[in-house]
Amino acid sequence: MNAERIINTSAASSKRRWGPRMWPYLFALPFVLTYAAFQLYPVLYSFVLSLHDWNGIGDKTYVGFKNYVQLWTNDPLFIKSLWNTLIMMAMFIPVTLILGLTLAYWTFNLTRGKRLFQTINVLPYITTPVAIGFIFSYLFDWQTGIVNLLLTKFEILEEGFYWLQDPWGSRAIIALMVIWRNLGYFMIIFMAGMTVIPQDVYEAAKVDGSTGLHTFRKITMPLLRNIIVFLVVTSVINGLQLFDEPKLLYGGWSGSAQVGGPDNTALTIIWKFVDESFGSNTRFGYASAIAYSLFLLIVLFSILSYRLTAPKEDKR
Amino acid sequence: MKTALMWFCLIVISLLSLFPFYIMIVMGTHYSEDLFKGIPILPGSYLGENLKTVLQADFIKVYGNSLIVSVVSVVLATFTSTLIGYAVAKFQFRGRKLLQTFVIITMMVPTQVGLIGYIIEMRHLGVGNTLWPVILVWAAFPFGAFFMIQFMRDSIPNDLLECARIDGCSEPGIFVRIVLPIMKPGLATLATLVFLWSWNNYLLPLVTINKSEWYTLPIFISNLGIVHRTDYAARMTALTMTTIPVLILFILGSKTFMKGLTAGAVKG
Repeated sequence: MNAERIINTSAASSKRRWGPRMWPYLFALPFVLTYAAFQLYPVLYSFVLSLHDWNGIGDKTYVGFKNYVQLWTNDPLFIKSLWNTLIMMAMFIPVTLILGLTLAYWTFNLTRGKRLFQTINVLPYITTPVAIGFIFSYLFDWQTGIVNLLLTKFEILEEGFYWLQDPWGSRAIIALMVIWRNLGYFMIIFMAGMTVIPQDVYEAAKVDGSTGLHTFRKITMPLLRNIIVFLVVTSVINGLQLFDEPKLLYGGWSGSAQVGGPDNTALTIIWKFVDESFGSNTRFGYASAIAYSLFLLIVLFSILSYRLTAPKEDKR
Repeated sequence: MKTALMWFCLIVISLLSLFPFYIMIVMGTHYSEDLFKGIPILPGSYLGENLKTVLQADFIKVYGNSLIVSVVSVVLATFTSTLIGYAVAKFQFRGRKLLQTFVIITMMVPTQVGLIGYIIEMRHLGVGNTLWPVILVWAAFPFGAFFMIQFMRDSIPNDLLECARIDGCSEPGIFVRIVLPIMKPGLATLATLVFLWSWNNYLLPLVTINKSEWYTLPIFISNLGIVHRTDYAARMTALTMTTIPVLILFILGSKTFMKGLTAGAVKG
């Protein structure tokens, strides 16, 4: 009787102790399992593939790091796609940052219409890239596009400029698409950062005689440091994966399956990757090597951009 | 003078943000061949015909596909994210730190890296050319998990959970009856974000789906009208019909949306 009670209570207490211990693992399980199945496994499998030569149907042949060597030393198109991507990033990241910050600063100090301006400018960000591609390829069409019609009407140009077939024109338009899409997003992120800055800092500055631009440079900017770091690092990461805009600019409106734009000047790394694997080729091993090289570049560039933008104290 | 300039710039930039939408809507109301005759600034009268073209091309079915993809993705992503968020934010257990680091690392791995492996895996599972690949990629959504961890930590008082435990409420019971109701705003934010991103997703359906019965909207529109004649106006109508619902959804819930979009940045 006594012994039974002891067994009972110890069973109950062990159950109570086991209970709360088991639950967090159970709760974490669905995420961990689905991640392992649908993200981690594909990532690892892609690495294995990148060491093989495989067209998706026949046998895989192990080639070691040959794909990588080939890619970096003997594929001018890949190097070109890398350059294109970097050039376009150099075009759109600074512009979006500066314009976004200016817009945010102005809108933040408005007494009315704040929300309206915010909402209007975020609309492009939530629009499907397909729409952006179509609209821009229409706007900049050399014969019928509004831009050329306006430019010739006001006699800035004698005849329409071949925007989409010009190497620099194509890159500039892609950069413009990215800027148009992301400007509102940058703006609301900056504004969210500004709301966090305590108002008495500004009042103190005012008392000390600081105004306008001076306050902005000496107080707002340094306090927005973390936001700037975040935006630079994420736009470097996203910029290296640029694909939707160039692809839809050239693959959409004209209905053509032209890869890479004029003379491949709009070819980005991901576009090259998609074309090697699911486009004109099915070289899965080689394309996986592109994907992994891109991954390494992303890691490298995000560390680099973090180092460059992060405040000095954080550099260790 | 300075404020006037500021207002001028703000209004010009806002108009530039809106202008392409306006052009899109207006173009959808013209006869396709007329688009090339001049600048279509005013709405035309061909909307009805364009609508017909779009609807005849299985638009309803494709719209349904996109809705299925987005809704199921939202359910899956919020489910797994909320659970792991609850575990990491509100329990003390061995491996908690590890799990948290795991989530942060997963956030940094771009999905494209595993794209080929993922598609081969889907083919092996026999669901290669269906909606499943486009949905399952959202099953474990690292940003969602991270967002939920942060949100739980800030918004759910530990005392409340302790009280419920002392009162004999079971753990699933606590989760459903206490945690979920408090988390409603966070769930709404995450759900809208996942909906938006899966609705607009282009690359993945482009490389996985090549059967027209499983097209999602972005793929459908980029292929619309190529077969018979390139009907630009009809495409614009289709685009308008794709974009406007999301825009309305956004304007209605703009507060939630913006909170979600900015959540990652201000904290981390």
